[in-house]
This record gives sequence, structure tokens and C-alpha cells, in this order.
Amino acid sequence: MKRIQAELIFLRALVGVNLASAMEYRASFISQIVGMFINNGIYFVFWIIFFNQFGTIRGYNVDEIFLLFAIVTLGYGLGFMFAGNTRQYMAYLVAQGRLDYYLVFPRNLLLHVIFSKMIVSTVGDVAFGLIAYSFTGRFTLVEIGLFLTTAVLAAIIFVGYSVITGSLAFYMGNAQYASQQMTNAMLTFALYPNSLFSGAARMMLYTVIPAAFVGSVPVDIVRNQDGRLLLLLVGAAILVWLIALFLFYYGLRRYESGSAINVNI
Amino acid sequence: MLLQLRRTTTKYAAITMTNLQNQLAYVWEALNRAVFIVLIMFVFIQLWTAVYESQGATEIAGLSLAATIWYFLIAEVMELGKIRHDERISEEVKDGSVAYTLTRPYNYLAYHFFNGLGETAVKMTLIFLLGLPLVVYYAGWPTIQPQHALPVLLVAALAMLLDFFVFSIIGLLAFVTEDTFSFRLIYQKLVFILGGLMLPLDFLPGWLQPLARVLPFNLTTYAPAKLFVAFTWAQFWQILALQAIWLTIFGLVLLRQYQWATRQLAVNGG
Repeated sequence: MKRIQAELIFLRALVGVNLASAMEYRASFISQIVGMFINNGIYFVFWIIFFNQFGTIRGYNVDEIFLLFAIVTLGYGLGFMFAGNTRQYMAYLVAQGRLDYYLVFPRNLLLHVIFSKMIVSTVGDVAFGLIAYSFTGRFTLVEIGLFLTTAVLAAIIFVGYSVITGSLAFYMGNAQYASQQMTNAMLTFALYPNSLFSGAARMMLYTVIPAAFVGSVPVDIVRNQDGRLLLLLVGAAILVWLIALFLFYYGLRRYESGSAINVNI
Repeated sequence: MLLQLRRTTTKYAAITMTNLQNQLAYVWEALNRAVFIVLIMFVFIQLWTAVYESQGATEIAGLSLAATIWYFLIAEVMELGKIRHDERISEEVKDGSVAYTLTRPYNYLAYHFFNGLGETAVKMTLIFLLGLPLVVYYAGWPTIQPQHALPVLLVAALAMLLDFFVFSIIGLLAFVTEDTFSFRLIYQKLVFILGGLMLPLDFLPGWLQPLARVLPFNLTTYAPAKLFVAFTWAQFWQILALQAIWLTIFGLVLLRQYQWATRQLAVNGG
């Protein structure tokens, strides 16, 4: 218990340092957040125009899109606002042999690595997710509770999956592009209605690129207040993290130091 | 005079060729970056197949499903293959190296244009070739007439030049603001909606179409893609006229801004 508490205090300190470091460049900090907000807003405008022109498409209309965007952007934002040192960043550390810096600390290695970077623009995602939810008109306590719970689970799955893609570097060497593309693919697919895809593509969204678990499944949970589906989502989050832990720590046995001198500021 | 012209042409052709060779030397990296087109095209194909199914229509605003799919491939090739030199200008301003590049024996913006051409040629080819199998599988081969090929290429070339002018204006803002991230993002997102990247202009609501058609954003993306899938001489001349007008406007702005920005420049370091 004491150990968990100590880890939490350490992680809180890491997040605090990341935030202070990002805010040092105030103009860049604000422009990245505002930029991401506008970025999400444009996609939102696209869907509003799209559904106004073409009506309901395979069971999705603009209300479902509001909810989908709210969950995906809040989940993505929460995940990478705190644990941003995954995906291509982790793949770079591994491939360059720059994990030494983290290995010498008496802290949980994986948590230390992933919490060592904050993606500033994700603050814009978090703000956008919360505002997008206000357009859904789902304001009962149960709905709000399910929205927040599924968004947190989506964040956990996003980070877990990006640890998986980042850990590929232990096995294939330079995995920066592969990890970046896989995480981008997950986000891209998550922002489109799941019902568009069928057959092998749909199967892929529940397995290799688990976009369904951060997009359409949470939407169905909130929309239908489905407890069983929520349990499935919890199971998916646990499974993703078990795979992530296995790939990271098994891969760590293959790690080779780059003997580089790191200066972490 | 002729000798001077020959020297200038040789110089800028050498800049293009050097970057082209660089890109070809690292073609695997370029391929990795370009592979995203496969994902994007797959998503678009699924989305628009669903739209045509739900509408029970073989054509929407005069475009068949096959034409729409080809439209998106060309639009993506234009968008993803563009010269992105504004980030480089911003970096040069931040690290102070602009002090050296500005004094070199070439025009600063012309250097960026011809340098970018080498990269763009590789990017556009790879993006097109990677997207092609998927598009041919779902939409078949396009039915472009040979006599339309040159006008489409001309519009595509002017689209690139227009886009270069806009990105140069954004890039030169770095001489004052240092970081141009938000300006770039806003421009790119305007191209997404008003430029026809996510939705052909013909699919926009009636009240928005006239506005979108006269603004410059569609001339960089929608124009070549639309002419590629549904060429009409009337639309070609209309697009060409608008491109000429906007190139003149942005060209004058750029000229003025370049003179002003180089006076405003503050270099850090040494």
C-alpha cells in the first residue's frame, strides 16, 4: 500500500514538472491547445454538414457523432495529457538505447517512462470532449457517470495500446513510424461510425487496431446504458494492458543500451 | 541576359535535383509516411459507399461513387504532397540559421520552392501509387480523356504554386511570431472543409457553395481533383481565372511581406 502511495506521489510530481515545463513557453502552450481545439472543431463541422446533407447513415446521425467525439477526444486527451511518452516517443527511446536514464531509478520503470512526457495539445482535446458532450443532451446522472467512466477506460486503452506499439521497437528495432501509424490508425478509425465497416475490417477494429473499444463500444454503453457492455470494456482494458506489460517487460530483456549521455531537462 | 537565365535555371534545377536525390536515398522513410493514404482511402471508400447506398443513388451532385473515390485520391495526393516549407522557415528563424540562408546567392523563397519540388515529386508519386490499388479495386480505372490531361496538370501545378504562396505567407510570419503552428493549422483546416478535402464542394449546402467556390482554398485541392474526375472546359476556364486572380493577390502580399519581414527579423545567437 505504501509503495503504491509512493508511486502515486512520484507520478503526481512528474505530471507537475511536465506541466510547468510546457507552460514555460506560454504562447506555444496556448497556441497548441487552441490549435487542437480548432482541429477537432473542423471535424465536428464536417460531420454536421455531412449529416445535414445525407441524413442517418447506418444507424448513426449527428447526435451519435457528438457523443462519439466527446468520448474519443476526452479519452485521448486524458490519456496522453498524463502519459504521453509512448508510441513513437517510446519506440525512439528503445531504438536509441536511451532507457538507461529510467532504468537506474528505484521507481516503476514503465510508469516512469510513460508519465515523463505531456502532449500539450491534448489539453485542447480534453476541453473539446467536455464541450462536445454538452451538445449530446444526455444529462442524467447515470449518463454523465457512464460518459466519464467510458472516457477514462478509453484513455486507459489508448495508453495501453500505445505502449504496445512503442514496445514493438524491442522486437523490430526502428519502430517509430510503425508505432505512430498504428496509433494514428486507431484514432482515425475510432472517430468514424463503426457500422461503416464490415467483415475483416470490422474484426480488425476489435483486435489488431482496437478502435471499437475507444469509440463505438463506449457510445453504445452510454446510449443504451448497457452494464454488460461496460464490463466487456473493462475486460478489454485489462487485456490490452496485460499484452502491453508482457510486450514491454519481455522486450526489455532484449534491450541494448546506446551508452549515450542523456541530459533530461 | 540569356546566359544569366541559363545560370539561374541550372542553379534552381540543381537545388530540386539535390533534394530529389535526398528523398530517393531515404525512400523507405518516405514510404512509411505515405502509407497513411491507404488507411485514409479505405475509410473514405467505406464512408462514401455507405452514403451512396443510403441515398439509393448512382450519382450525387453529378458524381458517381467511382468518381467520388477517385476524387478523394487526387485530393489527398494534392494535400499530402504539398510543399511544407513554412515549418522549415520557422525553425530557421528560431535557431538563427536564417541569418546565413538569407545571404546565400539565391532568392530565399525560390530556394524553398525548388527545394520543396524535389520532395513533393517523391511524396506525390508514392501517395498515388500506394492509394492506387485500393482505388482501382473499389472504383475501377478512371475515364479521363487524353486531351484533358494537360489542362488538369496545369491546374494542379498552379494549385501547388498557390498553396506555396499561402504557406510562404504563413512561414514569413515566423520572422515576427517565431512559431506558426496555429496559423498553419487554421489554414489546413479551412482546406479540409472549404477546400473540398473531406467533402467535394458540390456536396456542400447550397448557401455555402458559392462562397467556397470563390475563396482560394478550393483552388489548391478541389480544383485539380474535380477536373480529373469530371472535366468540363467551362469549369476549367473558371478555375484558371480564379487561380490567376488569387496568385496575383497572394504574390503581391508575399512580395510586400518579404520586404517587411526581412526588416523585422531579429536573429538569436551567433
